Amino acid sequence: MGRRTYYDLIASLPGLPLRFDVERPPISQHRLNERLQMLEPDDAAVVDQWTNFVHWDRQLLDRTDDDVAHSYQQLISEISNSFLLELIRRRMDTRTIIAAVRRRRAGMSAPTGVGQWIERIQRDYSHPQFQLQTVYPWIGRFDQLVGEGQALEAQRIIFDFNYRELEELAPTDMFSFEALLIYLARWEIIDRWTSLDQAAGKARFETLITETLGEHAHLFEPAE
Amino acid sequence: MDWLLILGWIGLFAPTALGAVGSILGCARAGQAACGAMLDLEGGYGRYIGLSALPSSQMIYGIVVMFALQTAATPATPEGGTPLPMTITAANSPGIFVLGVLCGVALMVSAIYQGACCASAISVSKRKPEVFGLSVAPAAIVEGFAVFAFIFALVLSGSIPK
Repeated sequence: MGRRTYYDLIASLPGLPLRFDVERPPISQHRLNERLQMLEPDDAAVVDQWTNFVHWDRQLLDRTDDDVAHSYQQLISEISNSFLLELIRRRMDTRTIIAAVRRRRAGMSAPTGVGQWIERIQRDYSHPQFQLQTVYPWIGRFDQLVGEGQALEAQRIIFDFNYRELEELAPTDMFSFEALLIYLARWEIIDRWTSLDQAAGKARFETLITETLGEHAHLFEPAE
Repeated sequence: MDWLLILGWIGLFAPTALGAVGSILGCARAGQAACGAMLDLEGGYGRYIGLSALPSSQMIYGIVVMFALQTAATPATPEGGTPLPMTITAANSPGIFVLGVLCGVALMVSAIYQGACCASAISVSKRKPEVFGLSVAPAAIVEGFAVFAFIFALVLSGSIPK
């Protein structure tokens, strides 16, 4: 069976911006889901697996490394699409490096995470960039920003790297299913960034309101 | 039945049949992209539909080559006599087969890939309307190769023995 193409679906999607840090995604989640209904059932199942991974990936904060490694193995054991596995593997590599930087900043031991770099990280934990600077040139700057408490800027560096990396991974056939997976992965970065940006913007707005109005800031809030 | 004659008949219809297959696939690809683009646009549909019809020309070239091969296989009309019917013979069959099949394959492949070029042009110019003209250039270049195959098939058909 040849590779499946989606001329109609991919042509119906708006182009993604060159940079991820835009005000809002070029297409809403609802509209995107509508367009994805053009997929054949087996490809739709692969997209569902990606969606499940993204959902899982966004809920990792409260889990231990062992929990993450266990549920990650369970998650990828259900995935047969090699391109999707590659996307997920790259995402988890980045996540493991982030965890290592944060743990080292907190004075903790090397993580027991997942991915192809975990042994290198454990071996070169004392090296500022885990000897991975040629593959991940952002580690040094990220480490610095985490140290300075600039979480949003640190996140921007990661997203920027991931967004560009995905562009490089894009297949030459712009109408292939793999091209669609790349589109979804890049769209997810934009969506995640705009969510973060909105949360940060809201927090900044509330701070400004409190500073400006002082005790009158909560005047119009509903009575408890 | 002589296999050589069968090959002659295959070669005679190959440009039309293979050209049609290519045009079907090419127009379908580009047409799907045009339909998808319409979902994301509020207007300017006409030029996308027009672009998606570009791979249909290979089918027309195929028909012309078929008639040229038919003419090549038709003996000259005797002076004052009635026109003679086309005759596939052992002498003209190899030439008709080779010219017809090779030209048909060239037309088919060019139509399929021209459809892909048109689909890309539709997708790209939808996002950047100012590059519409430039984005059509690859499809035009592919068309150029189909024209070469078509023209030289016509030229060589004159050399096929009656």
